[in-house]
Formats: sequence, structure tokens, C-alpha cells
Amino acid sequence: MGFKLFLSGIVFLFLSTVIQDQALAGKPTDSIRKTTDKIIGIVSDPDLKETDKRKEKDLLIRKAVDEIFDWREMSRRTLARHWRKRTEQEIKEFIDLFGKLLERTYLDKVEGYSGEEVLYKGEAVDGDYGVVKIMIITKKETEISVFYRMKKKGDDWFVYDISVGGVSLINNYRTQFNSIIVRSSFKKLMKKLKAKVEE
Amino acid sequence: MRKFDLELGVGLFMIVGIICLGYLTIKLGKMEVLGDKGYEVQAVFSNSGGLKTGSSVMIAGVEVGRVKHIVLDDYEARVVINLPIGLKIQEDAIASVKTKGLIGEKYIEITPGGSEKIIVPGGKIRETQSAIDIEQLISNYVFGKL
Repeated sequence: MGFKLFLSGIVFLFLSTVIQDQALAGKPTDSIRKTTDKIIGIVSDPDLKETDKRKEKDLLIRKAVDEIFDWREMSRRTLARHWRKRTEQEIKEFIDLFGKLLERTYLDKVEGYSGEEVLYKGEAVDGDYGVVKIMIITKKETEISVFYRMKKKGDDWFVYDISVGGVSLINNYRTQFNSIIVRSSFKKLMKKLKAKVEE
Repeated sequence: MRKFDLELGVGLFMIVGIICLGYLTIKLGKMEVLGDKGYEVQAVFSNSGGLKTGSSVMIAGVEVGRVKHIVLDDYEARVVINLPIGLKIQEDAIASVKTKGLIGEKYIEITPGGSEKIIVPGGKIRETQSAIDIEQLISNYVFGKL
């Protein structure tokens, strides 16, 4: 009898840790994990390794990223105080170009993936905002900390900023774009973005 | 009578001297006596990089406020800054710890956002960027090369 109780005790303890583990990794982490796993699946898919499949691969990655990135929010935060002065048409064009610019930067990084380890370091949720902290460990044992800043929209969480090694993507582009707009104009910024994307 | 005048003169001179000294102390020490004008907002940094009470807060390189105090909260630095009342900070503004020059003193730079929501007095700047650890960068570079 005593042994049975002991056994059920262990089972209960085990179960409760499992449940606790799931409760600790909340929704923001879940969605990041889902997308990350999906992308890793795409880049390590041997069927998509050939060079002629590159377009298809890029498209699949873009689709996976689109599910979790809030491009409008990112663009709004990047343009900051210049956002309100833009017409709906300009906004549309900007979101498209900015998305492409990030896609280029992001895809280049992702395509170089060669079995780096991704560790989930926890999350912090404060109302409708959350931060998911992950650590990427490269083959050379270098640790790169990446923070995904997310915002809740309805029931889902969307990324609006990424910090790599403590440097915020939005802050970086916000400063750059602001200085271009202040020095010349929004048109000039669009021209530069177009040139960069088409490079 | 003459002696009294002299003593009065010395006394007055001393008082004026002490007032001047007090004024200089407050001015040079950047202390605030008659309560703070302005309002406070908070920002949490994972690394304040040696920011001090009294460090500048800048927007576009213009000093707009000062760090009022810094406390350690859950192993993160909670920085309270004082800003003038007329200055509106948008909810999506980013506060980052920066260095004047390569090894100069630390200050907080706020890059204004575009949100229509304004941070209320006592509120929090959610988006922060901690001090970049140059040593860490160098060591990453060095050991990354191995």
C-alpha cells in the first residue's frame, strides 16, 4: 500500500512538473517556437536544397514569417513621427518595400543555417506586450541573444521588433530613416529602399 | 558706534558669501531644491552600463531631462527619469543607453515614436535598448574567430 502511494506520488509529481512547464512557456513563446521550427524545417529540407528550388524556399520562409510578423506595426514604429504625415498609398508602398528589405536581410541569415541550436530562455508578458528571449548557439559556440518583442492582437501574438545582441532592429532603422527623411525627403527614402531591395 | 558698523559689515559679507556658496553648490552639483519641475517616467534596462543619478536624457542630442534615480529590480536596472512637463513622449518611443564618444560618460537617448498614445506621468517607456558592452563585443569577435 505504502509503495503504491509512493508510486502515485511520483507520477503526480512528474505530471505536475510537465503541466507547470507548459504553463511557463506561454503563448508568445509557443508561436515563436512554431515558426522557428517551421523555418528550420524548410531550410534543412533536402528536397529544397538545390539552387533551382531557391525561389520556392524563399517563398515558403516568407510565408512562415508573415504569419507571425506584424508588418504594419513594424513599419509604423520604424517611421515613427513621419508615419502620420503619409498617405495610405505611401504607407502601402513603404510596408511592401520595408518587408522586402527585412526579408533580404533575414533570408540571408536564415539560409546560412547549419544546425545552430536554439534555446528558449523564457518570456516576460506585461498586459498586451511580451518579450520572448531566445539564445542561438552557433557551431563555434558563440552565443547570440535574440529578443522578440511581441504584441497581442485578438488571441494571437505578433512580432513588432527584434533585438539581436541587444540592438533593436526598429531603433536602428528608425534612426537611419529619420535622418534620411529629415535631410532630404520621404521620396528619397523610398528611392533608396527600392534601390537596396532591387540590388 | 564705528566698531559696530565694521562688525555689521563683516557679518553681512559673510552672509552674502555663504549664500553665494550655497548657490554654487546647488548649481554645480545639479541639485534641485524647490521640488522638481516636470514629470517622471520609468524605463527598465537589462544593463544600465554605469548610468548615474544626474546623467543626461537627450532627444536628438538636446538635453531634455535627467536621471532621477536608479534601482536594481529583479536583477535589472529600473531607471526613473525626469522630463519637463511640456515634453510628450509617445508610447512607442525607444530609450537607449549610449556613450558620449567611445569611452565617455553614459546618457539616455530617447528616439521619439509615432504612436498617438502618450506616456502619462509615472508611466513606463516599454522599448529600451541597454548599453552595448564593447568588451563583450570584442570578446565575441575574438572567440568567435577560434
